[in-house]
Amino acid sequence: MTDYLCIREIHKDFSGLKVLTGVDFTVSEKQRQAVIGPNGAGKTTLFNIISGRFKASSGSILFKGQDLSAKPAHVRNRLGLARSFQITNVFQELTVFENIRSGVRSRNGLRYNFFRKPDNNRRINERTEAIAEEVGLKGVMHVPASALSYGQQRALEIGITLSTEPELILLDEPTAGMTREETAQAISMIDRVTAGRTLIIIEHDMDVVFSLADTISVLHYGRILASDVPEKIRNDQRVKDAYLGEE
Amino acid sequence: MTSQKKASYLFIALIFALGVLMPFMIKRYHLNMLTEIIVFALYAVSYNLLLGYAGLLSFGHAMFFGMGAFTVAVSLIHIPGLSMWNAVLLALAMTTVVGFITGGFLLRHKGAYFALLTLAFNSLFYAVATKWHKITGGDDGLSITRPDLNLGFTTIKMADLTNFYYVTLVVIGVAIVFSWYFTKTAMGQTVLLMRENEERMKFLGYNTNISRLILFTFTGALAGLAGAFYTLHFQFVSQSAISVDMTTTVLLMTFVGGTGTFWGPILGAFVYIILQNYLSDITDRWPLFMGLIFIVMVLVIPGGLSQIILSIRRLIPGKRNTDRPVAAEEASP
Repeated sequence: MTDYLCIREIHKDFSGLKVLTGVDFTVSEKQRQAVIGPNGAGKTTLFNIISGRFKASSGSILFKGQDLSAKPAHVRNRLGLARSFQITNVFQELTVFENIRSGVRSRNGLRYNFFRKPDNNRRINERTEAIAEEVGLKGVMHVPASALSYGQQRALEIGITLSTEPELILLDEPTAGMTREETAQAISMIDRVTAGRTLIIIEHDMDVVFSLADTISVLHYGRILASDVPEKIRNDQRVKDAYLGEE
Repeated sequence: MTSQKKASYLFIALIFALGVLMPFMIKRYHLNMLTEIIVFALYAVSYNLLLGYAGLLSFGHAMFFGMGAFTVAVSLIHIPGLSMWNAVLLALAMTTVVGFITGGFLLRHKGAYFALLTLAFNSLFYAVATKWHKITGGDDGLSITRPDLNLGFTTIKMADLTNFYYVTLVVIGVAIVFSWYFTKTAMGQTVLLMRENEERMKFLGYNTNISRLILFTFTGALAGLAGAFYTLHFQFVSQSAISVDMTTTVLLMTFVGGTGTFWGPILGAFVYIILQNYLSDITDRWPLFMGLIFIVMVLVIPGGLSQIILSIRRLIPGKRNTDRPVAAEEASP
């Protein structure tokens, strides 16, 4: 099995503060990987480095054999990598439809054209509608993002992430702040829309982690403490001590 | 075609028709003023694409306006037999190149640093225009004669104001309509989305640095086209065309008209030129009164004249309030 995403010895210092101190892990194609760990362990920083928001202080990221380390975020996206944000990061003034279409037209190469209007492109508009339906927002497609409920905004966050048809999806705490009921719905939606793709998810909610992931990596003090199938992680003494606690 | 689209195209056609009839309806003096308004309308529209759509506050837009103005004058003087089209094309080429190069330097910085750097660049260009007497005429400026327009089958005398007015109406009018169309295109929408949430755009595959540079260059070329017609209109150009005052002028036009809509700055140019002409007839101290009017305007109606018109339109029964705050939809004329 070839390694699909291969992260080697990633270090990240923020002016002296060592957040990541040598993260190593590999993800194979179509794997569903969760990254868990206490607050401040460096999970979001790791996502920021994989997605190109920050540069690593050292180390390398190989995606399908290509070195991503020096590539800016927009190039990584075009290679098939997309991420969501822990704090909702949508286009507040635009409608749900326009939000999702921003990525759909990018994927279809309609980014900088001076003559063609996205409004007139049937293929793009149909795909946008389909994604809105997948994430359960078809009914509010023409409502501005700022007028959505919190749960709907989180769904839109995922809709935008899906809009560029990524093969590798990074979700940063997609259910943070949701009620139990909303969380249950979100899990089944995420499970559905990420089917057949590679998923890396950061989550605090263990229900979410155990229902979505087939592999769990525990990040602790900037390093991967353990990486294994959920059952083994649940019973790993080091993980219990560091994070999960005794049941 | 949606009804809103239809209304927009109808409105554009109506304005053009009105423009065609103007020479039969108004005096020569006013036709002169109207030509000037059309030229400045494009200048203001180009500035608003930068400020209102992309959210880039530049104090250096006059460098493109002035560059276009000087390119036309200098090329007409030094290249014998140069046609008007070629002079205008040269101005467009020149401002495009200058826009691309200066944009490459300027756009590395954001916010206040960007604004200050544009001011510095504008001053630099102004200094060159003042000192390089041999080419730019320095304080004396350059006088030109509009060359006649050769259309192949016939020649149109450009010395005649009405003829020149029609050429301006068509060329500048098309540029303004294209700018409006641009706001609906993929690139126009990209610019708007970037202002809204640049970071997210990067994670959706957009190269935001290149997008900004393209927009900056485009608005520079539009301002250059306006500048080229400014020289052709007055048949004269001096360093005032490239001065910081010329930037202030476009800033005021844009603010008076309102940055929230596409057509606001056109209205702003209209009001500004008319006020300037009438006030300067009444008193030598006209800049003082202009200044006072603008202070009151900015304090009382920060959204500009277009905000007043939109508010009135909302009061009319049957007109639903469909305008979203400073979004693309409001860009219809």
